[in-house]
Amino acid sequence: MVKIAYFDACIETPEEILVAADITPIRLFGNPMIGIDEANEHIPPNHCVWARNILQQALKGLSQDIKGIIATHGCDCTNREFDIWLESVNLEFFYFLNAPLKRDNAALKFFMDDIKELIIQLEDKFNVNITTEKINRAIKEMNYIRDLLREISKYRERMILSSSIFHDLVKNVQQMEKDKAKEMLESKLNELKTTKSSLDKKMKKILLTGSVIDDTEFIKFLENLKYHIIIDDLCIGTKYFWNNVDETDDPIRALAKYHLNKPIYSTKFPSYERFKTLKTLAEQYNVDGIINIAQKFCEPVLYSHPYFSKKFRELGIPYLFVEMEYNRESYRQLTTRFEAFAEMI
Amino acid sequence: MSKVKTDGKMLNATNKLKNEMGRHYLAIEQAYREGKPTAWATAGTPVELLYAMDVQPMLPENSATVSAALSKSQNFIELAEDEGFSYDLCSYFKTNVGAVLSNAEMNVGGTRKPTFMLSSDVICDTHVNWFQVQAERLNVPHFTIDVPHVVSNTTNRQRDYFKKYIAEQLWELLDFITELTGTEYNPEKGYKIALNSYELGKIWQDIYELRKNIPCPVSTRDTFGGLFPLFTMPGLKSPIRLYKKMYEEAKERVDNGIGALKQEDFRLAFMGIPFWYNLRFFSNLEKWNAIIVFETYVYAFSKFANPNITKEIVINYPIETMAELALSFWYIYDLKTRFEKLKETVKDWKIDGIIMHDNLSCRPNACGMYDLKRKLMEESDIPSLVITSDMNDPRKMNETQVLNQIESFMEILRKRKKR
Ligand code: SF4
Ligand code: SF4
Repeated sequence: MVKIAYFDACIETPEEILVAADITPIRLFGNPMIGIDEANEHIPPNHCVWARNILQQALKGLSQDIKGIIATHGCDCTNREFDIWLESVNLEFFYFLNAPLKRDNAALKFFMDDIKELIIQLEDKFNVNITTEKINRAIKEMNYIRDLLREISKYRERMILSSSIFHDLVKNVQQMEKDKAKEMLESKLNELKTTKSSLDKKMKKILLTGSVIDDTEFIKFLENLKYHIIIDDLCIGTKYFWNNVDETDDPIRALAKYHLNKPIYSTKFPSYERFKTLKTLAEQYNVDGIINIAQKFCEPVLYSHPYFSKKFRELGIPYLFVEMEYNRESYRQLTTRFEAFAEMI
Repeated sequence: MSKVKTDGKMLNATNKLKNEMGRHYLAIEQAYREGKPTAWATAGTPVELLYAMDVQPMLPENSATVSAALSKSQNFIELAEDEGFSYDLCSYFKTNVGAVLSNAEMNVGGTRKPTFMLSSDVICDTHVNWFQVQAERLNVPHFTIDVPHVVSNTTNRQRDYFKKYIAEQLWELLDFITELTGTEYNPEKGYKIALNSYELGKIWQDIYELRKNIPCPVSTRDTFGGLFPLFTMPGLKSPIRLYKKMYEEAKERVDNGIGALKQEDFRLAFMGIPFWYNLRFFSNLEKWNAIIVFETYVYAFSKFANPNITKEIVINYPIETMAELALSFWYIYDLKTRFEKLKETVKDWKIDGIIMHDNLSCRPNACGMYDLKRKLMEESDIPSLVITSDMNDPRKMNETQVLNQIESFMEILRKRKKR
């Protein structure tokens, strides 16, 4: 089966379109264990390390069966990096998906146009026919996967499932063939139904937010410090299955709407709206605190941090902001800060 | 380092620039006195529409450069950092936050609370985030224009719906302004302003055309300063008069074979924003008899460089014109276009080498610079030098190091001349 990778600073790539074309969507993740020397020859050192890390992997060569890439409009780093991919990465298909900045009607129409363009280009390149029926079927399939993930997430809320296992699960779904993902999730759910909680109830219940956090080892690191991510608003987390795509609407419209109606990202406007989502989640899940992680040089998160800090202070919700290097050594260096926060809350 | 020579002759007309900008600041003061609507706007937004709607624009980026030129920016930046804004964020933004926090006067780069703010992501995300931060702090409405990102493989079909999306937002912007101020859009006024802006941009391009001559009649001191009316006053008549004077004077120099430098040995292009706190830095180039004859950043603001936009289109479709212009200018060219344009520019302006500013504040601008440098050398034998610094934060400029780099670069250019 043909695979197409997507490079997304949020999670706004309509995987359904690829699934409808019998193409497996593979989300690209960073790998904090590799050096990024080749990427550094293209991008200055004060640019987002995560985005550079992914470029590094692409320069070295992605897996053979990945035939193309969709880069989805995220931040200045991901957007500007696309042309470097075009120049230097060896793939057959490149599409820059302009997921809009705003969330209004004009943006919706525009997003639909851009998704339609993606369909035209995929059809041309891969000689496939992406019909309305096929997209509808893909939407159903993906909705089912979202249902399963939402169900499974409840076990994390009840402290039966650890946050790192959950994180790993969501990540895998974004990299697997969808029917395999379905099987995996169904069997996980069955297993969970009879699992008793082994998690330490004294763990601090945390709402995790911030930049892309794709290294499950980092979540494990937090767990070792006695944090349990009871809820998050991350793209490798709740934003992947926040709600379902409307199965009764025109499918392209429904897909565009689905992505624009999710809680907003730090990269989109007005990103301050994130505060409302975070506040609701924090209250709903009665969390002990909020941890906001910025990948080093992640401008979108850096811009909103002082506002969040002020707002959460006003609300009396403990809030920790941490800027993190994209390597595992740096986690260890942050131990004291996380420990101090745990003690405080 | 030997003593800096100061041959670089500025145009007399450029001295009038101060008055022109003075008029701009006075207009802002007056708007406040009279209770007229005002707006902050980021570079790259259609400021013309503000003028067309009787809104007095203020451009905080312009103010930030004033702070830097008066050595005030560092202090403002540090105030913003005390508020929790990272050392790594754009120094224009932080200068503005600090200036507002300390109630700085306009003559040192302060700005006043506007009726509303207008931003766009056309050039950078910072613009949108910046105004979001300040709109919240100052409690004013904020309109942002989403400009789709053009990449090297964007098709014409895509450009069409990109344009439609932008135009739709521009109409929404007009409604937004009407709602706030009561002023209705007057198409007659709209096209007159668009036409003035067109004329302003065209004369600016004419001045640049003259710089193709050897020796180059206009130095970078004229253009770095001369750029401000282009983005603070597009649509007004008075800067047109100033630019015409600049043009005439430059033309006279060309006719008489007079250059801005007494001896012109090297012609350079500068890519990126200059260091506003250290403009005299550029005088250093004179000691190598080198002159900057093209600045992509400055040229970017003469937005009518897009060949699809003719005078007739400007007159008949001013809004659609603004939408089309938002999709192509020097600041946002995709990598392929940037490469092609640079190649052409080097040829047309007879440039020996390019200095690229890897600006620590400006990631969107710096992204792709290394590729450009490599490609220009490998494919077209055009040498460039990347220097790392910052346009508004003097803490991030290591002058000695940068000068050493330039010294070596000039040595390379000298050897190439001998080939
Ligand atoms: S981590 Fe931040 S800077 Fe990096 S790609 Fe994501 S949004 Fe952009
Ligand atoms: S310097 Fe760059 S990041 Fe800052 S406002 Fe200008 S374009 Fe945006």
